[in-house]
Amino acid sequence: MEGRGSGRAAVKPMKTGTKIALVAAVIAAVTARYWFYLAAEVSLPADRTGFVIAFLGAAALGVYALIKRTSWLGAIPAVFAIVVGAFLPFTVSISAQIVERDSVIEVGDAMPQFTSTDGQGQAFDSASLNGHLVLIKFFRAHW
Amino acid sequence: MSVDLPEVIADRRHLHGLQATMLSDQQLTVTDKFGLRNKGFHSAPGSEEAEALPVPATLLIDESGKVVWIDLSADYQRRSDPSVVLAAMEAHFDIAGH
Repeated sequence: MEGRGSGRAAVKPMKTGTKIALVAAVIAAVTARYWFYLAAEVSLPADRTGFVIAFLGAAALGVYALIKRTSWLGAIPAVFAIVVGAFLPFTVSISAQIVERDSVIEVGDAMPQFTSTDGQGQAFDSASLNGHLVLIKFFRAHW
Repeated sequence: MSVDLPEVIADRRHLHGLQATMLSDQQLTVTDKFGLRNKGFHSAPGSEEAEALPVPATLLIDESGKVVWIDLSADYQRRSDPSVVLAAMEAHFDIAGH
């Protein structure tokens, strides 16, 4: 388009498709970076609509860029945007950091009596805790 | 209390030099008694044998067996901050007497 055949052959104008591909790649990269930042901070929002829209938008832009035709190098950001934009919404939709529960023990309740097994395979009875100050921790697992 | 198998608990206990009683709750029977099953999870990555995970929680129980303090995490990856637990112990337990 503009610039083509103007005699300044040294600087080839960027194809429209390549420009779109770069924009798509930047959107995908920034959104992904923000997502993983929030995941590391353990503050992923419950509503991830914005993330899904941004990722799918980036993927769609990537496809559009390829349709508009990119330069050979321009195909790289386009494919990157498509891969990231198409794959991450899956992760975004299934990753659950927020817990769900219905009934839960409350302050003032009596501690439920229970029996269990310790690391040595020995039986444990909560009756042995009676009359003592107790700290109980529930945690996910060793990982 | 975790969903780890007794062997895993023994292994980690040794590895980290832990002193506290560590109990295995594979079937989440104790977890359910406390109402701490995390219903948002149907599989427990990294702990394939367990069907679910407990909500991360720390409870303080007094001598009469009454729950005096609970710290529940809204996030399965987050655990109670040690300083918060220590402050709660000081507030609710007569530490000097024990």
